[in-house]
Amino acid sequence: MSRFLTPAKIGLLALIDLYTEGAVPNEAIIPVLNFLASRLLDCDLTDTPSVAPANRWAKAEKSIRLIVSIQDFEQLLGPFAAVDRMPGRLLWDRFLEKLWGIDSLHALQEFFEKQPHLLAKTKNERRRMTECGEDLPTGIVLSRSSPFGVFVRRSHLEFSRLPFHSTAELWKAFVKYRQPTANYWRKRNPHHSRLSFDSVLVTGEHEWGENTEELAVVAYGSMLLGDDDHTSLVSTDDIECLLEMQVEQIHRYGDRVPKELKAQFQSLLKDSHAIPSLSHYVSFCDAWRSGDYPTSFDYLHRYFDFTMQDRDRLFYQYALMNLAMLQSDFGCHKEAVATMLETVSTARENRDNKCLNFALNWLFHFGRTHPKLVRELENNSMLGSGKETLAFLRAKAKESGMWVLWSSALMGEAKLGMASGESVSAAMEHIVRSSQIILERNLKAMMGSKLAVATTLWDRLGLAYLSSMTCEVFLRCYADTSVFDDKLKATCRLANHLAGRGRYEEAFEKFESLSGNPLRAVKVSQHWHLYRGIIKLRRDIHRDNHDAVDHLLAQLLQAGPECLETDMLFIVDSLHIDALTRRGAFDAAAAKIERLATELRDDDRDVAMRIRLLLSKAHLLDRIGRPERGFTITMRAARLAWRARLLPLLWQAIGALANILGALGEFAAAARLVVAVLPRCLETDAVFVIATLYSLLADAWMGQAGEAAHSDRREAFLGKAHEALEAAFHHFSAVEDVEKQCEMLAKEATVMKLMGDNVRAEEYAARYLKLKKEVAIRNG
Amino acid sequence: MGLTAKDSFHLKEALQIAVVKCSERCLYQAAKWAAELLDALPERSVDEFKGQPPTATYVHPAFFPSADPNEAALEARELNRYLLAKSFFDCKEFDRCAAVFLPDSLLSGLITAKFNEAADPRRKGKAAAVGPSAQEQPLPEMSQKSLFLALYAKVMSGEKQKDEDSEMIMGPQDLGSVVNKQLLTVSRFLERWFADRKKESDPSPSQGFLEYLYGMVLVKEKNDSDALNFLMQSVHLFPWNWGCWLEITNLISRVEQLNKIAPHMPQNIMSFIFHANTAVNLYQQGQDLAASLNDLLGIFPTSSFLLTCKALLNYHAKDLMAAEQDFSQLLALHPHRLDSLDHYSNILYVLNLRPKLAFLAHLCSSIDKFRPESCVVIGNYYSLLSLHEKAVQYFRRALTLDRSCLSAWTLMGHEYVELKNTHAAIESYRRAVDVNRRDYRAWYGLGQTYEVLEMHAYALWYYKKAAGLRPWDGKMWQAVGSCLQKMGRDRDGIKALKRALLADSYYDSTASSFGSTGPIDRMTQMDPEVLLQIASMYDRLDDEDEAKAYMELCMAQEDGGAAGAEGAAGLGDSVAIHNDSPGGGPSDGEGEGADRAGVHEGTGVTVATSKARMWLAKYAMRAEDYHTAHRLGMELCQDGVEVEEAKALIREARSRLELANMLDR
Repeated sequence: MSRFLTPAKIGLLALIDLYTEGAVPNEAIIPVLNFLASRLLDCDLTDTPSVAPANRWAKAEKSIRLIVSIQDFEQLLGPFAAVDRMPGRLLWDRFLEKLWGIDSLHALQEFFEKQPHLLAKTKNERRRMTECGEDLPTGIVLSRSSPFGVFVRRSHLEFSRLPFHSTAELWKAFVKYRQPTANYWRKRNPHHSRLSFDSVLVTGEHEWGENTEELAVVAYGSMLLGDDDHTSLVSTDDIECLLEMQVEQIHRYGDRVPKELKAQFQSLLKDSHAIPSLSHYVSFCDAWRSGDYPTSFDYLHRYFDFTMQDRDRLFYQYALMNLAMLQSDFGCHKEAVATMLETVSTARENRDNKCLNFALNWLFHFGRTHPKLVRELENNSMLGSGKETLAFLRAKAKESGMWVLWSSALMGEAKLGMASGESVSAAMEHIVRSSQIILERNLKAMMGSKLAVATTLWDRLGLAYLSSMTCEVFLRCYADTSVFDDKLKATCRLANHLAGRGRYEEAFEKFESLSGNPLRAVKVSQHWHLYRGIIKLRRDIHRDNHDAVDHLLAQLLQAGPECLETDMLFIVDSLHIDALTRRGAFDAAAAKIERLATELRDDDRDVAMRIRLLLSKAHLLDRIGRPERGFTITMRAARLAWRARLLPLLWQAIGALANILGALGEFAAAARLVVAVLPRCLETDAVFVIATLYSLLADAWMGQAGEAAHSDRREAFLGKAHEALEAAFHHFSAVEDVEKQCEMLAKEATVMKLMGDNVRAEEYAARYLKLKKEVAIRNG
Repeated sequence: MGLTAKDSFHLKEALQIAVVKCSERCLYQAAKWAAELLDALPERSVDEFKGQPPTATYVHPAFFPSADPNEAALEARELNRYLLAKSFFDCKEFDRCAAVFLPDSLLSGLITAKFNEAADPRRKGKAAAVGPSAQEQPLPEMSQKSLFLALYAKVMSGEKQKDEDSEMIMGPQDLGSVVNKQLLTVSRFLERWFADRKKESDPSPSQGFLEYLYGMVLVKEKNDSDALNFLMQSVHLFPWNWGCWLEITNLISRVEQLNKIAPHMPQNIMSFIFHANTAVNLYQQGQDLAASLNDLLGIFPTSSFLLTCKALLNYHAKDLMAAEQDFSQLLALHPHRLDSLDHYSNILYVLNLRPKLAFLAHLCSSIDKFRPESCVVIGNYYSLLSLHEKAVQYFRRALTLDRSCLSAWTLMGHEYVELKNTHAAIESYRRAVDVNRRDYRAWYGLGQTYEVLEMHAYALWYYKKAAGLRPWDGKMWQAVGSCLQKMGRDRDGIKALKRALLADSYYDSTASSFGSTGPIDRMTQMDPEVLLQIASMYDRLDDEDEAKAYMELCMAQEDGGAAGAEGAAGLGDSVAIHNDSPGGGPSDGEGEGADRAGVHEGTGVTVATSKARMWLAKYAMRAEDYHTAHRLGMELCQDGVEVEEAKALIREARSRLELANMLDR
């Protein structure tokens, strides 16, 4: 295998030759130059670099196509007429003339030998030429350091470095590469015969007679006998280029290499004698993303076996780091921590600050999600607690100019602050500082995580529209330049918001819009399926569809901590509690809440989760008919939510409090509380909470109506209760919550009866029955 | 030379036997050669074999046990061991193969015994050495076949050892002085074996192979006359061993020697082939040789070996086009054959057929890129492209593959000359000469290199060597002459150069007698350079008349017309050294052949002729022949050579003429 030269490169040289001869007409100059530039350099002249997912791999495909077949040239040159004395000749004809002009191995040699004539002369050469009285070359000459000049010079150099048999190989490959054009060329060139690919054979034919064929077969091997096994000459240079591109794509977007491209690339690799070690890395990434644990391990080790000592640098720490990430991805968290710690020590030994900082960052984030595993570590190490680690990382990153790390450390601090319920403005400050770095350094890849943190903040503050907007902004502007994971997460959030508002179908549509190649990565598709399942579960819980709920829960609960992030796990758990409560399995629900509560307390987790658990507990107590026992719990939840500015949870807590007050008969107070809270709650998109508040309000009004002595007042309260019930019913039906809808209808009927409007009472009763029937039919 | 059906059948059978016998003894190249020849015999129709019973019981004579009952019994007894040894040999485990029949202890005993005797001053000479000494162990009794195999394996192991011990080609330690350490053992053994045989009253008839082996060993020990003796014995006993014939060919360095031994050769077809081949190798030419080759080709019409000989014959006769065609035919007939394609590449090089040479190189490298021939072809191609470093690289590779590859050494020398690395060039030429002292190209190259270094005395010596090898090559004599001229020995120089002129004209006549492609009668054509050189030497010797004659002759070469012919005739008279028997046609492998071939009639104006003209003009001025001077000056001006000087000359001539006119008036 040659290092650099391939038949396709000869084609490019011929094209450059054609261009310098001035054979390219004006209208073709831009396409031709664009073609050359996109093959020689990494750029495109005509349009802005498109990074749409569909085009991401187009470049790789393009370069493979160029290596394998000559058709690209035909497509480019076919439409243009050449600047030529003979009219009607196409640029493609001229190009073919050049290629078929290389009609023997010696002609190939000459072709390369005269390449330097395309270059501009150096000062010395010019002086010598003027001394000798020669004319300086005119027309288009290539500057020595221009991209074309560099390419021409490199090709010339590489050719002169080839040993003879490689030259012969190149020649054979070139003959084969050119052969598809033989038919066309024969039409244009009647002298063309079957042996025209080598002029020596043509001239020798009259001398050798029928033995010519045999000689040709001896020289050209099986290529002539037609048992074409589609091998083509690939240079190490091409392979490396393609590999680097793949690695870059994988790193930047977290994609897997598309199937077709992979197949093409594999066939190229088969032709090349040497397989660069980087290809093992690509295989490793692919296996990793596809969830093939043993294979990815195998390839990782293979890759680092080949590169451990490359270029006088030790790569051991990187090998370890990759290993750790792999292990954690496959749920071997303990091993991952051990490996990462070794990475840290190795990196420290080798003074590889970059790796060290990265590893520490990773460890920190890992510790956030798996506190148990790193707890003992934190107690007896210099790292200290999360905050200190982050401060350390931030300082280090600033020192060594690792902007990505710096900004991510800042965001980590923001998250940490939010999780422990500290000042919102401090978190905001961190976000802003991080975003400043991102903008200053144009860290497009970091945009996803930055916006994710911002979304979280808005969500916590209950500003649903801001959070939705942020997600939209990300999806519209940054999705193409960031990792697919971020895109998926943003979409999930958006879908979550929609589901919160009861627009399940739209939420599912959002999910469906994500499809294709990126979903081939196992992590991503897992996440996608889980999130979709969660939303389905929410809908089915509301719809009271027990079978579906059981089915989904059985699946979702299987996903253990190995393959899920803790946030998602908590969501699944809380939905489980909800389902249990609704079904009246209070003991099981209580047990689960207790278990989760102890876990959370031990792990010092996000304050939001704790509040949620407290609220679930209060709800449970309410359901078993002893709401007053949940008073302290609710108060604590409210206090915590207030302090952490977790507004949606605060409103929920206030609702629970109102409920307790109602149970204690303090209806006026309850109503006042709810009325104060309701407008703020309406700002969020938690429709179910709003509906609950309305129903609580209705209860409070009803209570007050019962207490009211005067009938006018009573009427007024009943009217208010009716309105509240209407609103509650409306909101409950938005989230399709059947049970609550029925409850509202029943209450409505009661109110009507009390108001003496029997007809409407009947009406509500009929609607109630109808709804029940519908649900029964739907749930089978 | 037609063959009857019976002759043909016997020939076929003999060759078949030869192939089997040579293969049995692991003489692969000889077996290959015989098989190739066998293949070249035209197939006769089946009914001609009616005399032979093609029954199931028929055993081909090649597979008969040995004719000698004694040997047959021995062979039968040791068949197992023989098969073992043969397979070891085939696997290139030479020492192991030898040890099957001849344990090391036996061989070392042989040597130490010898040393003791050599140390003993009272015993001297060969007779004493083979005398019945007390400590001498008897030689083991075994069949000749096994003995040959064992000893041959020993020699091969020694060769292998030698190759391994040798340093990198042209490396600091590579002095070419590594020797085959097993030769001594083998030669001692064989010496005793032959002595023992002589003592035996009724020795079983020899098969000839051991003689061949002994001859080979003696050649390696540079004991040429004894070697020739044994080799001759061998070919008498078994004429079908081509390896043996080749060894004899290598021993013969002059055609006289060939003629001397010819009567002592067995009279059969092999000797005929040998004679032709040797003659070709000695750069002989002539009708007889061509005829005999053609006769042989009549018997073996497609024999690649004979075709190669024919092509080489044409090549040596400087009939490059014919040689090229011959080789081309050969290539078409045997596309996978690499042997002697290096010669073909030389021819293509001289003819400057670049695409074809590239194709040939491609072909060779596709067949086997690790054959010395392939490497030489590729090296030649790169040399033609003036990529001398690469060429050297490939020649070195050829030499690494086979150190005795003569042409690679010489060609590498040429490349080093091009690279201006004179020391390396001298070394490679020297090594070439060491391999084969008949290689005049290497001698000539050595001379050239020393000339570049301006060590003329040395150069002269080497040129003389080359000229001695090629007495009828003008180029050699020209080199000698120029060298002498530079050393200031003008008289000798003139002699040498005249001889060069003669040689050239002789060669031209012989070439045209071959009458192939271009019948160029260049009898009238002489190298103006040489003529100018002669003239200037005469000038320095103050022999103005001779100088003038040669200057005119030189100038006459411009149009190569009648004047030249006259001059040549005159020259033929003046130099009477035409009494040597016609030697070989000159062939200086690479170089000028091509550009000279283009010259048909008249050289046109060259630097040499212009110089001659200038000299003549000045001479005319001195001789006060102003008209001539004026004319010559005008001609010089027309040719545009040294115009300034010529103009000055014209002015002066004119003024003198005017002066003369005025005086006349």
